[in-house]
Amino acid sequence: MYGSQFDGGASLFSGGGFMPSQATQTPESSFSKSRGAQGVLPLTVKQISEAYHSNDDKSNFVVDGVDASNVRLRGLVMNKVEKVTDVTFTLDDGTGRIEVHRWVNETSDTNEMALIQNGMYVTINGSLKGFQGKKHVVAFSVRPVIDFNEITLHFIECIHVHLENTRPKVLGGVSAQVQANPISGTVTPRTPVSNQFSSRSSSSGSETDFYKLVLDVFQEPANLAREHGLHVEEVARLLGLPMEKIKDAIDYHVDVGHIYSTIDDNHYKSACNG
Amino acid sequence: MDTSSPAVFVNAELLKMYQGRRVRAVVQVMRNEGGLIVGQSTDGHQLTVKVSQAFPLSHFVEVIGIADGNQSIRAEICTDFGDTYDTLAYNGLCQLANGKFKNLFL
Repeated sequence: MYGSQFDGGASLFSGGGFMPSQATQTPESSFSKSRGAQGVLPLTVKQISEAYHSNDDKSNFVVDGVDASNVRLRGLVMNKVEKVTDVTFTLDDGTGRIEVHRWVNETSDTNEMALIQNGMYVTINGSLKGFQGKKHVVAFSVRPVIDFNEITLHFIECIHVHLENTRPKVLGGVSAQVQANPISGTVTPRTPVSNQFSSRSSSSGSETDFYKLVLDVFQEPANLAREHGLHVEEVARLLGLPMEKIKDAIDYHVDVGHIYSTIDDNHYKSACNG
Repeated sequence: MDTSSPAVFVNAELLKMYQGRRVRAVVQVMRNEGGLIVGQSTDGHQLTVKVSQAFPLSHFVEVIGIADGNQSIRAEICTDFGDTYDTLAYNGLCQLANGKFKNLFL
């Protein structure tokens, strides 16, 4: 009896906001985090398999340049295992399989999980975690699918959100941002930049476009919100272009003052965010 | 995690491209023939599905299994989707998942 009471206290303690990541968070980073909060991202398991760790935070994944810490998945339950403190199962959404953990602290959690059986279609809202290179989801909720049209809907949503996040950001969007942030007004006048560049070294127009492409990556709101900015490799991966070209563009933007290096010579952040 | 054996969204047209592979399709049951369902695919063609149980007539059944012929699937998992289903949306999804947005699925 004593043992179980003590365990209860311990789990309360560890869950009660004594998380080291929160304790060490600086005020600015928590501010930018709340601003960059994305809600729940609908994803396929295939997309998660291709998500990569952003370098500045251990628990953060990035899909299509957007923070994917909270995700929604929909698929079939397999290999459900019930334990005293948690329920684990494999979710198969047809694009792949992923482990799901659901902690059961309250009776309501236990009741919710008792309904879930192998072979059932469920919707999972949860947070995406990486542990020793293996990704899994810690679910906040696991609910049976009642209307099966939701399965079609989920995958259409995945496509829609993917399109929205990968759509090339139009200039209008950036200029709106400039108005919102007076500091950046001095930093992002577009036309002088390209003029300056062409006078600096007589290169083709396509190269200026390429420089702009690189800058746009840094200007994306999700990337602006990141304390340490982006790693050079991430930029190369996002654009699918060779490292030398990316480094060239980054050197240029650093010279002009559009971006600056953060924790080391491989991380850069837009000067736009102040 | 494991993405080595995905089940591709297919209609009758797309099924032909995935012989021997794992697929998923929704069919509306027209006949039960003892271990076999004859049903209509979301693009309006006839498909036969090898199953281990019968399903109510005119119900929509999602089949996940191996494509073992041009118009035939050997089912591993069947789910009864009930008697109403938006086949138009599902068929559209089949096309998107095999076309422009294939990289999200396969």
